[in-house]
Amino acid sequence: MSVPIVGFAGLTHLGLVSAVAAAAKGFRVVGYDPDQSRVRDIADGHLPVLEPGLDNLARCFGAQLSYTHRVGDLNACDLVYIATDVSTDDCGRSDLSDISSLIEAVIAALGPSALLCVLCQVPPGFTRKLPLDPARLYYQVETLVFGRAVERATKPERFIIGCAEPARPLPAAYAAVLGAFDCPILPMRYESAELAKIAINCCLVASVSVANTLAGLSERIGADWHEIAPALRLDRRIGPHSYLNPGLGIAGGNLERDLATVLRLAEATGSEAAVIAAFVENSRIRRDWVLRLLHREVLPHKADPTFGILGLAYKENTHSTKNSPSLALIANLQNWPIRVYDPVVPAAVVQHPAVTAAPSAIEAARGSDALLIMTPWPEFRTLSSADLAAAMCGRVIVDPFRVLEPAAPRAAGFSYFTLGAPLFHSAKDL
Amino acid sequence: MLEHQTHSPQRPTRAVVVGAGGFVGGAIAQQLRNDNVPMLGLTRRDVDLLQDSAAKALAGLLRADDAVVLVSAIAPARTAAALMQNLVMAGQLIAALAARPVAHLVYISSDAVYADAANPVTERSCRQPSTMHGMMHAARELMLKTEAKAPLAILRPSLLYGARDPHNGYGPNRFRRLAAKGEAISLFGDGEEQRDHVFIDDVARLVSLVLAHRSRGELNVATGQSASFHEVADLAVKLSGKSVEIHGTPRQNPITHRHFDITECLKAFPQFHYTPLREGLERAARESAGVPL
Repeated sequence: MSVPIVGFAGLTHLGLVSAVAAAAKGFRVVGYDPDQSRVRDIADGHLPVLEPGLDNLARCFGAQLSYTHRVGDLNACDLVYIATDVSTDDCGRSDLSDISSLIEAVIAALGPSALLCVLCQVPPGFTRKLPLDPARLYYQVETLVFGRAVERATKPERFIIGCAEPARPLPAAYAAVLGAFDCPILPMRYESAELAKIAINCCLVASVSVANTLAGLSERIGADWHEIAPALRLDRRIGPHSYLNPGLGIAGGNLERDLATVLRLAEATGSEAAVIAAFVENSRIRRDWVLRLLHREVLPHKADPTFGILGLAYKENTHSTKNSPSLALIANLQNWPIRVYDPVVPAAVVQHPAVTAAPSAIEAARGSDALLIMTPWPEFRTLSSADLAAAMCGRVIVDPFRVLEPAAPRAAGFSYFTLGAPLFHSAKDL
Repeated sequence: MLEHQTHSPQRPTRAVVVGAGGFVGGAIAQQLRNDNVPMLGLTRRDVDLLQDSAAKALAGLLRADDAVVLVSAIAPARTAAALMQNLVMAGQLIAALAARPVAHLVYISSDAVYADAANPVTERSCRQPSTMHGMMHAARELMLKTEAKAPLAILRPSLLYGARDPHNGYGPNRFRRLAAKGEAISLFGDGEEQRDHVFIDDVARLVSLVLAHRSRGELNVATGQSASFHEVADLAVKLSGKSVEIHGTPRQNPITHRHFDITECLKAFPQFHYTPLREGLERAARESAGVPL
């Protein structure tokens, strides 16, 4: 057979990265999005998402890629992925209205033997209900990680495929596309694949929750979680890539969505899921770690401090601020002036009566009484403690993610507070 | 979780403290007077909530723009009879509010509504009282939530201490009084249990803030810093300046601790700071001795 043409419907984060990855594997790709201005921007090389390596890859394989706002252009495709990001509300519930109307339009445009594959995150039971011949309908688990999306899209660990009949061989066009990525392919029932996606995220949340819980304990008993985590990673049952870095709760939207989905399904079916509720509560408590610290260690000693805040994105290498711990903190620092800087997120997203947008990290620190490093952007690692000491009025650094090497700020006279380690007070910090 | 209905603090038109004659109600009434809030303090002599006529009498005293603070209780409620009496009292208040709706309602509950195993306690912790007293407050909370129409704020204080506490229960009040008299302090076991002790004025200040913001929802009243009974005893002795023996006794019950996560309070009232235990004990001692604060 000829090389299949692959379509991607929905050119938000997931669709765009996946389309570029397919092009990089040698397929002709049609990217469709109903938003004409978005399509124009992408075609002009202005990608609406930040992902390391994405711009370069899209340029290198531009000849393989075409973009359109006309759904009928998908008619030439052998396989079309539904790949739009599914938004969630504050409770982690997916809004499936957009994806449902997108699927309806795409099915109407499909060629007579073309395949449809749902790539975006949908609740178990969603795919089977779609109005298409089951032999042409698939669900594929995506494991996009913000900030590492290109790496994961081009070098997936495996493909988890939801099918009507897992024992039946995959259609040739689909098998050809998946085969180009040279990784294991695991066909299973639709519902199994849909739940597998959620299971992966639940396992990640479990690891993070363990790390957060024991990091919190470490802070109180004189242990340092960062000494413990490497030992765990050498345990084969835990593994070198396990999520053991403590953080400020679960953020970004996707993990929260899966936890909410499990809780909802468990409630509906009478299945026990108290541990999932505990993950959610653990996340909620850890998110406010910096706020509690400031009220305990800074605000009792300094009546009217100015806070320098580095990072607004929910994690490094992304422009996303969904459930960002930094923005959650800022919402509770309304009584004190703040100076903020993020490498990609504009200060305009901040709602605060006394916010100053700084042009750089060191300018955000300038004049502040306490510096809060709320997103572990790589560029913050280069900050010199001596420069910070010269720029700041106070001598407090809150560095939850241990962006700085702790010895440096301590040597420079800072009180230095980080997740998972006992508080370090300098002789005089404010 | 508290939700403020007025972001900028506004003095209530009038606050009515039901139970102003008690330790907690008296402190709240005094705080409101200090804050120049028009205040009507009601004691059992004014309205006895155990009488059948109480609802009508209370309704006659209320105005539509009042903020009512319900503190009155027979506490601690240790028996079924005391439990039922407290529910009758709450029922009378609810009947009064049905006849004369008010603008805002604040109920002073207790952390006894939470499960013993809750740790750290937050406003989201499971409410599963293990004592009659806790069940009493939980039932009253439910009665008010279900039947009172006014915006409702529920405050759940941890263990309170202060000079005027008529109870002499195990903890800061008893330890301070014993130390002041130079008498030995006896601990259960070695006093290892950790509890969150709250100075009475802090409850009163928080009530004033809740009224000023017309807040609704739930808020724990706890410092977030638990101390062992032994530490409290040590502090009481130190502040007394006397040589007082602290001795343990054979332990009868397993050691349990209670800690609070007070994040919701930090969010609701960022400028509010609890009185540290040492300072609270000093102030209680000075007040007991008649020294101006």
